[in-house]
Amino acid sequence: MTATHLPDPFGALGLEPRYDVDPRALEDRFRQLSREVHPDRFAGAPASERAAALSRTRAINDAYQVLKRPQRRAEVLLAQAGVAIGDREVLKPAFLMEILELREELATARVAGDQAAVGRLAAVMRARQRALIDGLAPRFAALGGGDDAAILAAVKHDLITLRYVDRYLDECDAALDE
Amino acid sequence: MLLQISEPGASTPKAACRERVVGIDLGTTNSLVATVLDAQPTVLTGGADAIVPSVVSYDGAEAVVGRAAVARGEANPVDTVASVKRLMGRSLADVAAVAPLLPNQLIDDAGRMVKLRFSDGRERSPVQVSAAILDELRRRAEADLGGPLGGAVITVPAYFDDAQRQATRDAGRLAGLEVLRLLAEPTAAALAYGLDRGTRGTYAIYDLGGGTFDISILTLVDGVFEVRSTGGDSALGGDDLDRAIAQVVLAEAGVAADDRAAVRAVVGAARAAKEALTDAATTALAATVGGRTITRTLTRDELAAIAGPLLDRTGKACRRAWKDAGFTPEELDGVVLVGGSTRSPVVRDYVRALFGKEPLCELDPEQVVALGAAVQADVLAGGQHDVVLLDVVPLSLGLETMGGVVEKLIVRNSTIPCGATQTFTTYADNQTGFDLHVLQGERETVEACRSLARFTLRGVPPMIAGAARVEIGFQVDADGILHVAARELTSGVSAAIDVTPSYGLTDEEVERMLIESFEHAEDDLVARNLRTERVEAERILAATRAAMITDVHLLDADVAVATEAAIATLEAARAGDDYLAIRAAVEGLDRASKPFAERRMNLAIAAAMAGKSVATVEAELGR
Repeated sequence: MTATHLPDPFGALGLEPRYDVDPRALEDRFRQLSREVHPDRFAGAPASERAAALSRTRAINDAYQVLKRPQRRAEVLLAQAGVAIGDREVLKPAFLMEILELREELATARVAGDQAAVGRLAAVMRARQRALIDGLAPRFAALGGGDDAAILAAVKHDLITLRYVDRYLDECDAALDE
Repeated sequence: MLLQISEPGASTPKAACRERVVGIDLGTTNSLVATVLDAQPTVLTGGADAIVPSVVSYDGAEAVVGRAAVARGEANPVDTVASVKRLMGRSLADVAAVAPLLPNQLIDDAGRMVKLRFSDGRERSPVQVSAAILDELRRRAEADLGGPLGGAVITVPAYFDDAQRQATRDAGRLAGLEVLRLLAEPTAAALAYGLDRGTRGTYAIYDLGGGTFDISILTLVDGVFEVRSTGGDSALGGDDLDRAIAQVVLAEAGVAADDRAAVRAVVGAARAAKEALTDAATTALAATVGGRTITRTLTRDELAAIAGPLLDRTGKACRRAWKDAGFTPEELDGVVLVGGSTRSPVVRDYVRALFGKEPLCELDPEQVVALGAAVQADVLAGGQHDVVLLDVVPLSLGLETMGGVVEKLIVRNSTIPCGATQTFTTYADNQTGFDLHVLQGERETVEACRSLARFTLRGVPPMIAGAARVEIGFQVDADGILHVAARELTSGVSAAIDVTPSYGLTDEEVERMLIESFEHAEDDLVARNLRTERVEAERILAATRAAMITDVHLLDADVAVATEAAIATLEAARAGDDYLAIRAAVEGLDRASKPFAERRMNLAIAAAMAGKSVATVEAELGR
């Protein structure tokens, strides 16, 4: 499996590609565009117009889905800068060991039905997720200062790390649902 | 559409093609139909009661619906179907928990949607039974409105999965309805509330019906209803509480829980007692079982204790929903109660404690969904309400990958319509086929998700392993129904897809049922198709003509010529009796006017992005 295609979500919403998007402005733009082109407004129109409304709305919705999440936004910007995240990216062995151990702890807690322990592990990981995401803004802000390659490499590293963190949190959620 | 941003009061095709459209709440226990009359959503009765019990009783080929079916059910339990909504899009294995309690004979259809077998040997799908209810509602509405319906919005629980939605849409088709939209029940309720109150803010809609539970968190801003998250349980409702009460009573009386007739009698008494406790703190429960009478008093406190575990399931779904929406209960502006089961003070107390605020229930919780659906139908038919509903996918959609792991393409709570594509490659040399398994659910393993369909992609040219690039596209439409497409990218060879829905009906099956349903009807299929196509032709002609006048400057000469020719062809076809010819001419007009439609859409988007009026953008474009 290869990476999902990423059409330009900034373009679909008519926004300048940048990391520090104002969430309120993003929401407003999304609602405003939806109001104009939603298929419901074309229910009585010829099929060609209905189809056009449907595909435009789909593009707007898909773009919003991506841009409202800082992490996904960062992934798009990274890809647009020509830095790809592959299927088999290598992280530091120390981090992988740590994740492996945390997974074992989670599995043990899950088998034991110890919801409190699952909750504690999730809280620790969530703090880490927060810190990684918070760290993205200053990195993007520093772009254009001459050391872009190093910055983008750091962003890429953070995003790969975040994937592991997210997957772990998904497992915590699944365990908490049981 | 640009037409709607043109001058207010200007003549638009909307006025010309206003039709009789309705909203239908197809409930587990009760159903009802409503329409917008003089800008006011109103429940239709067809000269009878507003509420039609969702019960169908069959006498051979004849179906009796509603109160008459309830009455007939006493003597003919096997041929009388209640709560059929629980069976929609479900296999026999899925409904194992409720099947023993139903008087009907349920049969397995090779693991696909369960069927019912009746005493005369006939078999029917739950889709056909639901269609009988819809048909009754359609007839009532037509009696009140004085003519055939132009279309209907049918509500479904927000948490209904793809198979359940498809089954509902198929039922509408079988009942001779043009299904304008499937609409989530809590969203419909919000629409009825929001319009009534001119509300702004973020609200939770707690919808506990007879057989389903939904929770949705919505933000209302300037006529845009944006669903932020939804959750629920499509097999949890007031019915379950009746059964839980009955189990307690049966256990105390020492009656075996597998005695179907006894269970039915006690469940009926339990429901009556539960309803009595809405107004009283204590009530008497009485049921006759095998000649002896069981009596017991039931208090509201006891009811609360019995309901506790069921209500806790709703609480869990609520907590997940507000977390998904990124809100705490304190941050919500209110919680709205919907569904007959929320009449119970036990439920109200629970919701008040869970959300920490007094729940809102000004509108009749049993009518509010149908009223909201009527408003949406009116919007779709070009009525006056300036609202847009942004609904979501309730459950993630994905594909099975190596090792039985599910790869999610569309995550839950994505706004619909939406889409995603993923590229796969071959793992063996000269592999020419792909087996694809489409799933819905949140868990990471195939077994824990719901199988929606299996596809076989054939005709991939033989290549070495890893060279082929097969792109799988998922598209969810505005009804929340998934469409899957696949193509091989390197060769450009179009590959064929065979679809086998895991639970739903194939198009052929729906077609066959449709033909069967006309064997006993006065109407006939050809006449209906002709009527439908003529209405569609009228609509398209009016809309196209109006657009050609409003936006004449966007119409290139060659497109104008082609469009005029297509209009002439359609007018000629409409005058004839061949519905297939009309359909072909409608498609012809669509093709001819496509470049025009695209330009109009581009202009609308450009204007919205710039926050300007269309006129300003046109001026800037030098037109």
